[in-house]
Amino acid sequence: MTNETKKIDSATLSTHGKLAMFNEGLKKGLANGEAFTTLMDQLIDTTDGETLLTAAQKLANFKLDSAYVTFPHQYKNADYYLIFMSRLLSMHDDEQATLNTRAHSEALYHVFEALSDDYTFLYSVVAGENGGAYYREQTTGENLFYIHLERRLLRFNSTAFTNLFINKLLLKGTGVDQINTVLATLINFGHYLQDDFGFNVDFNILDVNNAARYELREANLNGEILDKLFVIAAQHDYMLRNSPNGHGAEIDLPGELVVDVFDAGTPEAAKWVLTVRDPEQRVSWFDILLHFDFIRDWYLANIDSLEIKADPLVFA
Amino acid sequence: MEKQNQPDLEKQDQSTRELTNSLQQKLDYLSTLRQAITAGDDRLVYELIDGDHYHQALLNEESNPTRNAQVDLITDVHPAISHYLSTKLIDYLAHEYPFFYYEETQTGEFQIYFGNWWDRRRFGKLNVLKVAFDFSQEEFNKLQKTFELAAAHKRFNTDQIQKVSAANDELQKLIDAQDDRDAQKEKLRQQLKDNGQRNSLFDSGRIKEERQQIIDELTKLADADEQANNAHATMKDNEAKILTLSKEDTILAYEKQAIESSFKSFENFNERNRSLYVDYLTTLIGKAQVAADDE
Repeated sequence: MTNETKKIDSATLSTHGKLAMFNEGLKKGLANGEAFTTLMDQLIDTTDGETLLTAAQKLANFKLDSAYVTFPHQYKNADYYLIFMSRLLSMHDDEQATLNTRAHSEALYHVFEALSDDYTFLYSVVAGENGGAYYREQTTGENLFYIHLERRLLRFNSTAFTNLFINKLLLKGTGVDQINTVLATLINFGHYLQDDFGFNVDFNILDVNNAARYELREANLNGEILDKLFVIAAQHDYMLRNSPNGHGAEIDLPGELVVDVFDAGTPEAAKWVLTVRDPEQRVSWFDILLHFDFIRDWYLANIDSLEIKADPLVFA
Repeated sequence: MEKQNQPDLEKQDQSTRELTNSLQQKLDYLSTLRQAITAGDDRLVYELIDGDHYHQALLNEESNPTRNAQVDLITDVHPAISHYLSTKLIDYLAHEYPFFYYEETQTGEFQIYFGNWWDRRRFGKLNVLKVAFDFSQEEFNKLQKTFELAAAHKRFNTDQIQKVSAANDELQKLIDAQDDRDAQKEKLRQQLKDNGQRNSLFDSGRIKEERQQIIDELTKLADADEQANNAHATMKDNEAKILTLSKEDTILAYEKQAIESSFKSFENFNERNRSLYVDYLTTLIGKAQVAADDE
């Protein structure tokens, strides 16, 4: 009896089954789309930080198309990082980064009011297991920072900031004020991630904390490099002094600023670092480079030795 | 019983009395010195360790070596006395010579550093017992020369820097002239070819001579090429030389400024150095006076 029923069913179910499968596929695909729009609603409208971050995380990895349902109009995964950043900034009333759409497509990008529209910023998702994305200026290809939403991690990149904001912009006539406006927004973004979501943020060359130790590319710094600073500083009426604490040098700048260059390593392994101290803890090494021409000249002329190291795991 | 064993002072002979007196003087000397140190009376310590110098320098008295009869007793503790005296002396010097810094390399031995700037120079030693600077002659001479040259608006290494810079300019020209040389070589090679094709029975001597001239020219150009090829390395060496010289000039300029801001002139500085012992001891006497008046 059972055997007989099975026989009949298998014959009739072959068509029915296919239809059911197809229908199931559609339902799943539509449900996937539905889930997507729910996340999209959250991403663009929620006023709750955690909901925003979760939506961005999920959308950044979302596969909208399925075997049965495809959507002709779509944003790229990288764009959800950009929307997230814009939303987070606007939740904190920072509107400096303008989110634009390219004509006739769904591609998004940032421009900054303070900079020319030649400079466009967007995210570039890292392929492979590590995941995360770089915030990149398109024409120069400079990766300003790396972000990983799940791991709640943000890493600024000294090389890209120096290349873009100093070599490309400052030295070609862009004002320090304009540059500072953009920097402020990027730094604020780091602070919001840190304060709102507990991100682990390395501000790197932008760190204003007095305790920040900017590590130099040449761990065992050649003394000649300091000799050069000594001579160039004297030409600008500043004195490079012998460091009172150990092996190194320091220089006083206006505004109770003190820049130290010293070996923070061990007798076996040198590790030369820079520090910037000011009473209000508002000045980073990058600010020094923006404001003091002779120090900037010295830094750029000896960049192979002096470059501030960024996280080697994400900026090889 | 006991009385019989006591030495009988009356019966001591002359020489023994002299010996005990002499020992007593030594004991007195040492105990006075000990008390002076305990009491922090540095003036008295100075008087005790070189009384003859003290009396000559401060009291304008004639030299009298007997004042130093006991000083040999303490030579072995000179480093410790120097260490003891350095505290107040360095306090005083920090005020009078604010640009000198001291490092006690071993007990009582003090290295002088000139300035607090980068790679400041070791400038000699401080002789605490004599209250005198013992400058490194080489470093001192450089500084003296710096003051002399300032009148001509020159720094210590100005001429040398100019020489090395000029050499670098020449090398740069040599590099820049590569295209000219290449064109010239091309021309000379053509001439050489032409020369080889000329064949005159009567003029062979002249043709040979001309050929040699062209070859000499080409050799000269090849030498210049080689020099130009090595120029980058030489220029880098020269830049390192200029850096070393500029650094030395910067250090000397800071030293000169430091002396001028404290002493107005190099002459005043030297004069102060010469009278340092008297000046310091006079302030110690003054302080002792104030302390006595306060009591």
